[in-house]
This record gives sequence, C-alpha cells and structure tokens, in this order.
Amino acid sequence: MKKNECIAMLLAGGQGSRLLALTKSIAKPAVSFGGKYRIIDFSLSNCANSDISTVGVLTQYRPFLLNSYISSGTSWDLNSRDGGVFVLPPYATESGGAWYEGTADAIYRNIEFMDIYDSDYVLILSGDHLYRMDYRKMLENHKAKGADLSVSVMQVPWEDASRFGIITADEDGRIVKFTEKPAEPDSNLASMGIYIFSKKTLVKALIEDHDDPESEHDFGKNIIPKLLAEGKNLFTYEFSGFWKDVGTIPAYHETSMALLEDEPEFVLDDPEFPFMSNSNIYPPQFIGPDADVKQSLVSNGCCVKGKVIHSVLSTNSYVEEGAFVKDSVLLPGSRVKSGAVVIRAILGENAVVEADCVLGSEDENDEIALLGNDECYGEGGLK
Amino acid sequence: MNKVIGIVAANYETPELYTLTKDRTIASLPYCGRYRLIDFPLSNMVNSGIDTVGLILPYKYRSIIDHIGIGKEWSLDKKNGGLFVLPGSAYGVGISTDRFLLRDFGQNDVFFRRSPSPYVVVTSSNVICNIDYKELYKAHLESGADITMMYKISGRENPYLSKLSVDGDRVTAIEKGVVPGDKAFIDSFIINTDVLNAILQGYKAVDYKDMFDCIADALGQFKVNAFEFDGYAKSIFDKDSYFKGNMDSLSYDVDRNLFSADRPILTKEQDSVPTKYGKECEVRNCTIPAGCKIEGQVQNSVLFRDVVVEKGAVVKDSIIMQNCVIKAGAVVENAIIDRRNTIAEDTVIKGTGDNILVIAKNKK
Repeated sequence: MKKNECIAMLLAGGQGSRLLALTKSIAKPAVSFGGKYRIIDFSLSNCANSDISTVGVLTQYRPFLLNSYISSGTSWDLNSRDGGVFVLPPYATESGGAWYEGTADAIYRNIEFMDIYDSDYVLILSGDHLYRMDYRKMLENHKAKGADLSVSVMQVPWEDASRFGIITADEDGRIVKFTEKPAEPDSNLASMGIYIFSKKTLVKALIEDHDDPESEHDFGKNIIPKLLAEGKNLFTYEFSGFWKDVGTIPAYHETSMALLEDEPEFVLDDPEFPFMSNSNIYPPQFIGPDADVKQSLVSNGCCVKGKVIHSVLSTNSYVEEGAFVKDSVLLPGSRVKSGAVVIRAILGENAVVEADCVLGSEDENDEIALLGNDECYGEGGLK
Repeated sequence: MNKVIGIVAANYETPELYTLTKDRTIASLPYCGRYRLIDFPLSNMVNSGIDTVGLILPYKYRSIIDHIGIGKEWSLDKKNGGLFVLPGSAYGVGISTDRFLLRDFGQNDVFFRRSPSPYVVVTSSNVICNIDYKELYKAHLESGADITMMYKISGRENPYLSKLSVDGDRVTAIEKGVVPGDKAFIDSFIINTDVLNAILQGYKAVDYKDMFDCIADALGQFKVNAFEFDGYAKSIFDKDSYFKGNMDSLSYDVDRNLFSADRPILTKEQDSVPTKYGKECEVRNCTIPAGCKIEGQVQNSVLFRDVVVEKGAVVKDSIIMQNCVIKAGAVVENAIIDRRNTIAEDTVIKGTGDNILVIAKNKK
C-alpha cells in the first residue's frame, strides 16, 4: 500500500443530546444543515480538499444513517485505491468488547487501523463542526515548528472563553498552558478540537493513557495536559474564519438563519474549495403559480406553493397552498400542509405540520419551536 | 430482467434544433433544469432492472461522455454488465423520421451476438418519459411476439413520428406521420435477440435504412405487436417541441408523473448549493434547480444550474441555461438562452409565442 503522509481520524460517535429531537434517532454529525448537507459533509469535504485521502470515521451512537450516508466515500471523491473512508465502530477482541470510553480511547482502539494506513501524521477531527479549513496549511505549520502536537485554535470573545478548552501560548505559538473550560480564562484562544499529531507521539501517549486508571481518556482533559507535562513540543495553529459548533437548538437555528444574509459569514459556495454531499438526485424545485419565496435558500426536490419568507428549505421539503413559513428551517422531506403557519421553527426530517395548524411564534422570548424527525404536529399538539 | 439487455440509440441528428445542437447532440440537450435528454432513457433502463446497457454514440459524443462518464449515477459502473459505449456510424441518422439506423446496430453486432440475453429493449434518446419496461417485457413474453413496439395515442399532428395500424395487438402497418388519435410509436421496443441478429444479417446490403422501414415491408415475416403506454411522453424533434416539453414541467401533474420517487430520473451529480432567493425577488410558476441566485422577477420559466437573475431583471416564458447571468433591468421573454450568456443591463430579448428566440451558447 502506498504510504499516506497524513491520515484523518474523525470522531463521529457523539450523540449531541442538546440538539434534542434532532438527534433522537441519528448521530449529530448526520444532522442535516444548510439545505442539502449533513454536518459531517464539512469535515469530509475539508479532508478531500486538503488531499487527505484516508479517513477513519469513528461511530458509536446510532450509526446507521451515517454508515449509509458515507457509503463508499465516492461523494467526496474519497474512494481512492490507496485509501478511502472507513467507518470504525467499536469491536470485540479476545478479551471481550467495550464501547469507546472517550475520544482518546476511541482512537486507541483503532491504532491497528492507523498502522495499516501507515502515516507520519494523524489528523484528529470532530465530525460535528461547521467550517472550511485547508488542513495542508496546518500540517505545513506542524512540520515547520517540529511539533509533536499541533492544536488548531481561534480567538473567541472573552465572555465565551470559559465554554472552551483555552490555550495560553507564547509569541512563537508554543503552548504553555491548556485549561478545559476555565472559570477565569487568561487567554481567549480556544481549541477547535482539531489536532495534528506526529504518529509516534500519539501512539505512545494513547497506550500510556489507556494504562492510566485515573484517566477519562479524553484528548482535552488527559492527552494534551499529559504531553504538556512531559515537555513535548506543542504548538498552536491559529485559524481565522467561520467555525461553529451548532450544539444546541438556538445555535442551530441562528446559524441557519445567518446563511440567509446577503453576505453570509459561512460561505457554502466556493468553487475552489467546494462542500460536497451525498444527496439523492431530486428533480429541480417547483415554485407554484401562487407561490411567494423571499430571502430563502431552497434545495432540489422542493415544492413551494405557499409563502416562504426568510427560511431554509432542505431537499424534498414541501410547502402547500396557502401555507406560510417564516424564519424557519425545514429539514429534508418535511411538509407544511395547506393553510398551516410555521414561524421560528425547525421541522425535522419527514416531519409534517397538518393543515391550518400553527407552530411557533414571532415572539423572540419564546423558544424556537422544534418538531422531531418523522413527527407530526396536528391540532392540539404532537400526534 | 436479467434476460434483457438495453440499447439506447443516441446517433440521431436533426437540423430543426438550430444552434441548440451545434456543439452537442440531441441526446445531450439540457432539459428541465438539471437533466439532459439521455438521462431519461438511461434511467428508464436501470429503473426497469436492465443493468447491461449499450449506448450507440453519435459522432459528436464529447458532451454525452462528459455527462455520463462510466455511468456511475445510474449504477452502470459494474463488474458484470454495466455501460457499453458503442460507436455509431459516421454521419448518423440524418433523416428526421429515422431513428434506428441498421448500420449503427450492424457495426456493433458483436454486442448482440455475445449477449446471453434472449431479449433486447431498444429506445431512442429523444423521448421524455418515465417508462417501466418490465410491463413491456411481460406483454412481450405473454404474446410470444418477435418485436413489441410501444405506442401512445397522439395528441397532435407530428410528421416525425410513425403511425402504427393494429389488428388486435398485431401491427399491420407502419407509416410516417401521425395525426391526433393515431397510435404513435414512441421509439421504444423490445425485440428477440435472435430476430435482431437475423434482421442485421438479412438487411446487411441496405444497412443505410431505418430498421422499421425494413420491418414495415416485412410485417408478414415477423410477428410485430403493439403495446400502449399511457403516461406522459414528449418527443423532442425541433425547437418547438423542445420548448414546449420544458414548459410542460411547469404543470405539476407532469412533473410528478415524470419524476416519480420510485423510478427517479438520474443525472450527473453536481455539488451546487441551494438556490438563494433575494429579498425582493418575485418567482412564480417556475422550475428551478440548485445553484441559482434570484433577485429579480421570474415567471413561467425553466432555469438551469448557476443562473443569476439580478435585481430588476425580468424573465418570462423562457428557458435560461446553465451559467447565464440576466443583468439588472434586462428583459427576457419567449426565449431560450443557451449556456454561459450574459444578458447585459437593460437589454430586451423578446421572441413571440410562435417564434421562440434562441441565443446561442457562448463559447467563452
């Protein structure tokens, strides 16, 4: 097998429980975003656009949709002869089987996989972030600094700093301190959960971490502090640009709405660095004779016969005659029946709002209305 | 359907499409927002369970190969069976009423001779429809015919189609030209492989002829049956049928009949972003694919991928192909704007309902 310089390990096993009904039946990286994408598309596209052709995807929580979605990886041109996308669920050995017990444990259990695709460097990613990043630049920086570990960081507003893993670095970018969610941060450089390890360092650290009964087997909590204590070369790679973890319903809604700006911060359309997805081939959108669509994103397979204002319509969603949709996100296959009103709401995949029903409200004090995948909202509430 | 192989005859040319087919063949004409005509016959084949498909290519095949590649989107990139590219004869079918040139088949007879399948489903590449060939196959088996031709009751006069006269199910005459109410052959048929091989052998000396010209004169020799198709079918032969066919997609019934979820029309996958509708846009009765940006007014029109309609621009009763930009204040009515054109600010491009204006593809 041809040697890869750098392979990627993508952590996609998390539930994302704060996305509530949206992740009831699917893993967070499989949640639909931006009309035609799933959240994992962004990391996979970043890999493909960064010439990383071997990607291990670590799954655990409700993996079926992810498995079928990733399929052979052909949608991201990741179906190469010398690599490809590999879904890596927990497995059993002679001594029994166990779940992945943390991010570091998940990678530890796949050291054998990494050895097959022998590489000098390993890129560790999280499959639930929205961003566009050329990992090649980070790898160049890693090599130039002679680092054992590079952590991608970005500046966050000081008031948000205590929600992140905060890094203190010297002028040269050398990491001197790492604190997970500090109460009183002394830096506003946040870790983005994107790491490049020199492979030998990674494997050694993972084995030692595995043998440590005190460890929670987490990169942020255990591996990074351990390497720092050992005096290894840890450097930051500073990223500027859009990066977001849409971990909650309000964040998901807000980030979706921001796509509707005239000049959105998160640019989906960049021919030089395209986001790819494994979308079904649907017919073009049909905009009916009495329809009205304004300030919205509409995907293939949609049919709009009613009024849609400032909303994201994902593939194959349907707004019937006389229906009104505003400030909302319709996920794939969802349907707003005739005369229904949907305002400041998220409709899960294949969710239905029955005719003449009202979901959500204009009142900013009210929570974003949420209808889970396959749920049906009728008179008097959920059906 | 493992006893059936398919042939898509795409070596058909006509001057009636003017500049639309100057750099492309009919088979690769863009259609209905995101498709090309070839998508329909290919999808019909694979949706019917036919997974060995020979594609008879025209001389100008670049645009078709660019679109189809190795047949990935149709799952025809297979180890066993799959897509077979068959070269058509040099000048193709030049007569507007001909579709199945014997020479195109004779030249590739090794494909049929080697085939272990006793039946071949053949279709042209310029009929827009969603057909389940399993039904045709079933009828063919039950009747024991040599050839079963699919027809549709014609809704309008058409000199390019062939009229079938039948006695029961048996075809008794095949003539050029149809009027409303006639049984019009929709250029799809199933034939026994040995009968096809016999025809290719027997008519070798006159291989410049259309297969059905020969069969029409020999209906006593072959058992030729007819089978009715009652779904939507639109044959594309000229500018008007091309324009009207696209506009048919604005009728929602046609849309759903043609793009059924069970038998999807497949096409080359693109990574276009969802279409963005502006704050002041006005869009009514349109078919629009992903990748467009619309700020202006668009009515009764079919847009293709990556079209931009700027603020204050008006598009009515038109087809706007991929990568066109309609600048602010421009007006486009009753027109077909071929790929990569920019309609400058405040320009007016107007055809009439009877005479659709075509702006040729911009080669830049």
